[in-house]
Order: sequence, then C-alpha cells, then structure tokens
Amino acid sequence: MIRFENVSKIYPGDFVALESINLDIQQGDFVSIIGPSGSGKSTLLKLVYVEEQPTTGTVFFNDRPLDSIKTKHLPYFRRNIGTVFQDFKLLPQKTAYENVAYALEVSDGSVEEIKEIVPEILDLVGMSDKMEKYPRQLSGGEQQKVCLARALVRKPLVIIADEPTGNLDPNSTLEIMQLLLKINSMGTTVLLASHNKNIIDKINRRVVELNNGRVVRDNIKSKYNV
Amino acid sequence: MNIKKIKLIRTFQEGLDNFRRNGWLSFATVSVLAISLYIISFTVILGITANMVLKNIQDKINVSVYFNSDVEESYILEMKDKIVGYPEIKSVDYVSKDQALDNFRKLGDNNQSINQALEELGENPLLASLVIKANLPEQYEIISKSIGGSVFAENISRIDFEDNKKAISRLTSIINMVEKTGLVLGIIFVFIGILITFNAIRLTMYAHKQEFEIMRLVGASNLYIRMPFIFEGIFYGVASAIIVFAALLITAKFMAPLTEGSINGGDIFSFCFSNSFIILPALLLFGILLGTVSGFIAIRRYLKI
Repeated sequence: MIRFENVSKIYPGDFVALESINLDIQQGDFVSIIGPSGSGKSTLLKLVYVEEQPTTGTVFFNDRPLDSIKTKHLPYFRRNIGTVFQDFKLLPQKTAYENVAYALEVSDGSVEEIKEIVPEILDLVGMSDKMEKYPRQLSGGEQQKVCLARALVRKPLVIIADEPTGNLDPNSTLEIMQLLLKINSMGTTVLLASHNKNIIDKINRRVVELNNGRVVRDNIKSKYNV
Repeated sequence: MNIKKIKLIRTFQEGLDNFRRNGWLSFATVSVLAISLYIISFTVILGITANMVLKNIQDKINVSVYFNSDVEESYILEMKDKIVGYPEIKSVDYVSKDQALDNFRKLGDNNQSINQALEELGENPLLASLVIKANLPEQYEIISKSIGGSVFAENISRIDFEDNKKAISRLTSIINMVEKTGLVLGIIFVFIGILITFNAIRLTMYAHKQEFEIMRLVGASNLYIRMPFIFEGIFYGVASAIIVFAALLITAKFMAPLTEGSINGGDIFSFCFSNSFIILPALLLFGILLGTVSGFIAIRRYLKI
C-alpha cells in the first residue's frame, strides 16, 4: 500500500535526513517507526502525507507515485490519510465536536452526514460527554482523543501518528495506543513514530528502526530493543 | 442545497465568526483601514473642492474694455458680436452707461457722499464697457493686447487688464501649484494608506498562522482556507467605509463655515451631503477592495502554493 523506493531526503545545507529508504507497508499493517531523536522518523512520515517531497527516489501510495500529485490536488489526497501529532493541532476556536466536524466540512460533507458521523466517532474514542468543550478545557489525553476522532472521521485508509503520546501521561498513553490498535483491527493501516520503549514492547508489532536516516532493522513482530 | 452553496455559507459563517471573535484584532484592523481610507478620501475631496473653489475665483476674473463716452451702443454691440467668436474668449457681456451707474450705486449702497457727488455732476460720468471672460487665465494677456492693437482701438478709453495683470498671473501660478501639490500628496497618501492596511492585515494572518497549518493538514483546499478571510476582508471594508463616511461628514460640517458660498453657492458640507450617493459607494468599494486584496496576498505565504 505504501512503498518507499530508494528514498533519500536531503535538506538545504546538506543535512541528510533520510538515506536509501526501502520500505513496503501493506494495507492493515501496524508499523512502529522507532529511533533516537533526529533519526528521521518525522521526515519519513512527512513524505507519506506529502508535507515534504523526497530528494531522490519515489514514495508510492497504492502504486501511485506521490510526486505526480499536483499541488492543487494535494488536499484531496490528504483526505485518505488521518494524521495525529504530538502537539495535537486542534483549532483552538472550535469545540471538540466542531473540530471533528471541520474535517468533514472540508471534504464537502453534508449537514446530515456530519450530524450522524461525528457523535459516533467521538463515542468511539470515548469523548461523547465532552463534545462541546474547547481544546483549552480538555486535558492532553482528551485532546489527543479528539484528534484521533478527527483523523478517523473520513474513514481513511491509513492513520499516521507522529509521537502521539509524546505529551501524555502513562494512562492516557495507554488509552491512545489501545484506540490505535482497535482502529487497526478494523482494517485501517497505522503508521506510528515513537520513542516510547514501554509501549512498543507491549504491543509486539512490526518495528522499523531508523538510525541516522537509514533503516537498520525491520522486524515483523518485535520489541524496541532486540 | 447544492454543495457550492453549502461551502459558501460555511465559509461566510467562518468569516463572520472570525471577525466577531477576534475582538481587539478586528477593532485594530478596522481602525487602521478606516484611518487610511479617511486620509485618502479626505485628500481626494479636498482636491476636488479646492479645484471648484479656484475655478469659481477664476470665473470672477475678467477684462473690462471701456469705451469713449461718445461711442454709439450699436458700435459696441457690433464689436461684441465680432469678438465673441474668438477661440480664447469664453463670454462677452455688455454693460451700458446706465447699467454701470446702477451697479455703482448698488456698490455704494446708498452712501451719502457718493449720491451727493453724483447729484453735483449732473450727468453720468461712467463709461460703457464690454466685460470679457477668457477660457484660461493665461489668455487674458493675448486678448488684451489684440484688442488694444485692433481696429477698435481708437474708440477705447482704457482696458482694465494692466491693473489686474499681476493678480491674474499670480492666481494662475497658485492654481497650478495647488493642483500639482494636491496630486502628488494624493498619490503619496494612497500609497501609504495601502501599505498600512496591507501590513495590518498581514498581522492578522500571522495571528492565524497555526490554524492555516492545521487546515492544510486536515485536507482543506486553498479556496476553502481563503474564503473565510475574504469574507472577513469584506466585513473590515464595510465597517471602515461606514465609519469613514460618518467621519467625513463630521469633518465637512466643521469646515463648512470656512468654505461658505465658495462651492457652487454652498459649502463643503452640503457638497459632501449632496454627493453621498457617489461618496458612500466609492468608500465601500475601495474599502472592500483594500481589505480583500490585502488579505488575499497576505495569506499566500501560508498556503504553500
């Protein structure tokens, strides 16, 4: 489903973020990208939702090269992908409900669709009773759940999570991970970047380890450290 | 309802929410826009009215050709018909001896000594004249010289130009200078106004920087991100235009006493008031244009086009 073919990313000033990445991710996979800070995890993910383009090599999404997508068509492509970030990125002036609804509005969702789907999704992540709250009124864990709901609301093919539990306490971390696993069990591919050793060990799924921009390990069922 | 309409309503609602929610920021931006708009429109109106005042004064300049007292009225009228066709001449009016006396009396306003003096003289000492107005102040010299050297010259007592020559040429140069200065100032102010407004709106966009990133990541198209801010720009424009319109009228009211009678029989306030149907739409148009174009340009760097 997602394929990296000899991908390198070099930033101006000759900073090599990724080098010769070859990766194959199938639909329904749960992949954890691990590695120390600066190893290129975020960059790898950015290439999938086209926030950056590779310097050499090609990233394929369902056999379609991502560098062939015109800039003006990018928004439509991005609707296949749900993103969750360490810093949440919720619109501060909208309630939890409105934040999730926004994702649907942006893809021309009808009023009925929104009324039906949004409460459902918020229920899935356990935020039904806090729909009318603003981000500033929610805890870190709650905000992240809303982000997850927003990422899910369009039933995307893949969820990309860049250090989603980075700012969370252990309980919330566990809750979010459980949600991700649940979502994955329903068929959605999950790409997770993390340097949380405990969590990775617990879930025992595919681990791709990066170091200095290169893939040093790719194990189907693995732990943080071998 | 089709999808385009829904999008329009949604983005309109967003724009309105942004405008209302941002309280101080909106207030600041509207103020800046209003000040710029005020300066620009004030300069323009001042320029237009100054022009009108000057043209009024210009209109009062004339050259009087006085004829010897023995000249027949028909002769004078014949000359009038002849010269009225000259390209430089705007109009020629005949003032008979009697009329001259009448005018003089009116000027004197029943002044005792004047009336007495006239009584003593017995006859009308004043001369008949042709009052000539030129199209442009510069042309009085030519007119005066050519009449002075024409075939009518021997019947002319005097031409009242030489006395006014200095005043007329000074007035001409003042008029030219005022027009030029006004134009230059106007352009400078328009430029400054646009710059200030653009920067104020760029600031607004910067305040929304994070939101743009989020919207892009969630998959909003450029148009969908832009529309609320275009609407916001319209609101800014309308709000400022209304404020400026009120401010202009108030300013005009204050300035009215200074300009009484100088503009087509009225003053600057009545001028503004009667031309409201042009001024208000112009303000609205310019305000909205300034607001939306600034927003359009300012947002570009956040859309990563």
